[in-house]
Amino acid sequence: MKKLVWFLLGFSIIIGLAGCQTAEPEPAGLRHIRLPMGYVADPQYAPFYVAAEKGYYAAEGLEIEFDYSFETDGIALVGANELPLAIVSGEQVILARAQDLPVVYVMEWFQKYPIAVVSKAAAGITTPQDLAGRNVGLPGFWGASYVGYVGLLTANGLTQDDVNASDIGFNQVESLLSDQSEAVVVYINNEPVQLRSRGEEINVIAVADYIDLVANGIITNEATLTNEPTLVQGFVRATLLGLSDTLADPEAAFEISRRYVEGLDDGRFGVLLASIELWRADTLGLTEASSWQQTQAVLLNMGFLDAPLADLNAAFTNEFVSQPMPQ
Amino acid sequence: MPLPAVAPFFPPAPIRHMQMRTRVHLLRRLPDWLTILISFVILLAAWQLLVVIGGYESFILPAPLDVAQQFVLVASDGRLLRHSLVTISEIIPGLLIGFFVALPLGYLLAKSPLAERLISPYLIASQAVPIIAIAPLLTIWVASTYWSRVLVAALVVFFPVLINIIAGLRSVPAELYELMHALKATPLQIFRKLEFPAALPIILAGLKVGATLSVIGALVGEFVQPKSQGLGFLLVTARYQFKTDLVFVILFTLAAIALSLYGLVALIERRVLRWQT
Repeated sequence: MKKLVWFLLGFSIIIGLAGCQTAEPEPAGLRHIRLPMGYVADPQYAPFYVAAEKGYYAAEGLEIEFDYSFETDGIALVGANELPLAIVSGEQVILARAQDLPVVYVMEWFQKYPIAVVSKAAAGITTPQDLAGRNVGLPGFWGASYVGYVGLLTANGLTQDDVNASDIGFNQVESLLSDQSEAVVVYINNEPVQLRSRGEEINVIAVADYIDLVANGIITNEATLTNEPTLVQGFVRATLLGLSDTLADPEAAFEISRRYVEGLDDGRFGVLLASIELWRADTLGLTEASSWQQTQAVLLNMGFLDAPLADLNAAFTNEFVSQPMPQ
Repeated sequence: MPLPAVAPFFPPAPIRHMQMRTRVHLLRRLPDWLTILISFVILLAAWQLLVVIGGYESFILPAPLDVAQQFVLVASDGRLLRHSLVTISEIIPGLLIGFFVALPLGYLLAKSPLAERLISPYLIASQAVPIIAIAPLLTIWVASTYWSRVLVAALVVFFPVLINIIAGLRSVPAELYELMHALKATPLQIFRKLEFPAALPIILAGLKVGATLSVIGALVGEFVQPKSQGLGFLLVTARYQFKTDLVFVILFTLAAIALSLYGLVALIERRVLRWQT
């Protein structure tokens, strides 16, 4: 018995020691930054992969670690000044600031809100008004999908009572194909691509065509803005370079993404192409005050926000986007 | 020999030890509810102290008063009760289904070595499957959000209860079987008069564990299928809105539900096992 206890103890210690990984040495002079991404590794993150792979981050003295954790965790960590930067959805910034998280949005990556309502072509749902009285499936009554859905309804004079909405989890494709839902709320750069690749004839109503909501972008916190503006500037500048390179050459960006997304198959190239349409802008990264006002109005309408923010303009800045790019 | 100057402040060890024992004795004489209340007050004080010393923002660690205020808010507007009832309506059937499926299967496995050899490997392997991975699939298979959540709760409850049922039935002393055989008891009589009563304490212990796990099971189901009702949905929404004080209210509510279920099983245990005392 005693031998067995010693054996188990020794075995546990060996396993424990084996589990302790030594930290990888940082390249000389580079500052390691853990970046919460909010979603799994995906070609949608191609601009960041391109910026890393082409050395744009390294040129700014940064080494980026992509952290595919939950979006809310990323905001909390940045809000608590545990991390300097994260990728999050715009409405989350307003919700976070309403709870006194001092986060600031510094670069609008998605210029269009990526939510849409998809239906089979046979259902004849081509405009938001056609949703009245229909069964619409949502992943849940929370999150960006719900915000986009309510934004779409309100922008078109509809209320939530006009539509028979139900939450179906992240089973939108199955729910639509099995006719459990007549229409489903999805990410426009994902499920419609899947459905079309299956040969389904679908109608897509893009939220962004009816209302301008703040979509995914980069956040930092007030302390970092005050104490380390060069860090934010460097990161934004490098990311914008990665973004423009991706827009210019999606094929090359997709190839680079293969090194970051394990088992990435060619079928996902459509996701990148669909995403690119949401990123295009005259001035990449620029965010507009009117988008923030509209987003806040939707959140108030939904009851997610008890009162307007005392200073909505403090939630975002274009200071780092409007800086000239290095040649 | 005169005592040193510090003596009045630091009494000799044996006396201090005696005083400690007296205090402990006094605590033991307190009614249960008062002991629980004291421990709760100590917990709150420690929590408040942690918030003050750590200087945490309320979105990281809210103070007890913030949580209390949020509790009053969601309790008074009826939200907490409404969502709690939804979750309870999933927990209870989940617990019962998990228990009543485990009961006959546990009997079969305890009595039949062949069945144990055939089924046990799969049952044990199934425990390595994270429930969160199959919960979304359950929704598609069952085609009902409610029953898929109940099923998740039942699956979480099932295994610990099953293990206790097997252990309980195997704990029956062999000589009691010999006695029953000598009395020419039928298998049904052996089960009713010997096996079930003898195994009951261990089975009920398993049910106690299952009762608390069923709360986790229902919540996992609600996380994966955050229908617009239930404490899981409220928790997801609270996290989405960064209302950490509401998150704490929900966690305490879940703990209260788990404690109540545990207490209910303990009450049943006290009643049905009265013969033991």
